[in-house]
Amino acid sequence: MQSLRIMWRITLLNFRAQLEYRTEFLLMVAIGAIWQVSVIVFATVLLARFTGMGGWDSSEVLLIPATRMLAHALFVLFLGRVHGAGRQIQEGRIDTYLLRPMPVHRQLQLAFFPTNAIGDLTVAVGLMIGALSRSELDWTPGRIGYLIAAVIGGLFLEAALFTALASASLRFPAADYWSYWLEELLGTFGSYPLNVLPRAVGGFLTYGLPLAFVAYFPVAVLTGHGHDTGAPYWLAAASPLLGVLAYLGARWLWRWSLRHYSGING
Amino acid sequence: MAVLHAWRAARVTPLGELHTPPRMTAVLLRLTVQIVLVASLWHGLYADTGTTAGLDRDQAVTYAVLAVLASRMRELDQYAGRDTVLQHMHFGTIVYWYLRPLPPQRYHALRALGEKLYGFAWALAGYTVCLTAGVVEPPKSAATAGVFVLSLLLGQLVLYYVLLVLDQMCFWTVRNNAAMLILIFAQNLLSGVYAPLWFFPGWFVTLSAFLPFQATLNVPLSLYIGRIPLSDAGLQLAVQAAWVVALHLFTRFLWRRAALRVMSQGG
Repeated sequence: MQSLRIMWRITLLNFRAQLEYRTEFLLMVAIGAIWQVSVIVFATVLLARFTGMGGWDSSEVLLIPATRMLAHALFVLFLGRVHGAGRQIQEGRIDTYLLRPMPVHRQLQLAFFPTNAIGDLTVAVGLMIGALSRSELDWTPGRIGYLIAAVIGGLFLEAALFTALASASLRFPAADYWSYWLEELLGTFGSYPLNVLPRAVGGFLTYGLPLAFVAYFPVAVLTGHGHDTGAPYWLAAASPLLGVLAYLGARWLWRWSLRHYSGING
Repeated sequence: MAVLHAWRAARVTPLGELHTPPRMTAVLLRLTVQIVLVASLWHGLYADTGTTAGLDRDQAVTYAVLAVLASRMRELDQYAGRDTVLQHMHFGTIVYWYLRPLPPQRYHALRALGEKLYGFAWALAGYTVCLTAGVVEPPKSAATAGVFVLSLLLGQLVLYYVLLVLDQMCFWTVRNNAAMLILIFAQNLLSGVYAPLWFFPGWFVTLSAFLPFQATLNVPLSLYIGRIPLSDAGLQLAVQAAWVVALHLFTRFLWRRAALRVMSQGG
């Protein structure tokens, strides 16, 4: 309880710190929204030009970016500081964190308030409302519950991927380079049915770089396309659970990497 | 002597890259995966479609793959070397740019030249592999190839000046990460990095025609694939050249103003 209170107070202070430069604050909100809009633009351009993408109708396809973007926005808000952690590591801030009586990962997350998450979340919620209103599915409590689980699972899976990269950054700060590519890949290839891609490429985005589990598989299960994904149905259906497990694994990797971390002075 | 100084400044980033094999491996892997993914995506999308937005499948794939390759000429990570203008402003080390015998604007241009040449080597190698593997189509004629090279050169100049304006903004704003991200986003969207501009609605294409971003990538790539006919090339090249001149004059003005804002040892 005490630690929760401290986290809340630090978050409030971080938020006030962000308000110091008002224009920058507003622009950061805008960039969150604009980044999300770019994903929508890409998806809608494809949907407008190539109807019936992978055998899905447009209202079904729209649920994929909506789920992914909402998961991404929540990730940015709650756990997003692992993205770009390499910069904090390169600047030696981790050495300071190690001296303080608070877990390093928590200090990393509390380094600053993610203003852009406000824009991210606004657009993501808007798109989700739009996607749900266009959807012709029967939204039973089971489906709604699974959608919520899918968003939370997507949040944790994205966090797991970025935490794994942050762990690598503890040893090789330049590994941070990969996190920008990962974000780009999630934005471009995580927002539509992956069955439009050749099987080998779809397999890579499932078992190599598990983007398919973030939104494509859960939405495929929700919309009745779960058997056409190229992966076993049970695996696709278990996506939310896999996200949580992946995150637990990534946090173990983070702790292990931190134990082996050596600062500039050894 | 000046040539030697220029060479030394230009080779900083390429040398840094060559001395970090993991980074080069990462670039190679990233480029390969990105090309395979992009080519697969457009092949998949065109599976049930003929020509759309004036582009057939091969043109769309060629455009998208060349856009990925061209991005190598922009995406070098100066941040790791702590040599971005933003970092220099943050740490106060920008003052050293003004204490050297090399003018800051020339140093900036030389660094960019070295980076672009290094990125171009990657892009050229990737293009050769893609052409040999049949992933991209060759240009329709020698004239098309010539016009494309000229247009690509002008496009890279426009891109340099656009990114320079972003760097120069750092002299006026203490915090400008968001503004930089917004402009980079605009560059990506309006130059055709996300998707060929021809797929966007008509009003969007018209709007982008009035901005410099489409001159960086969309024009050379559209000339290459034949979406802009050779008969229109003269006009397009003239527009690109006009942007180069306008942005050159604007950034020269900004360099002068920026110099007045740099303080050493408190004034």
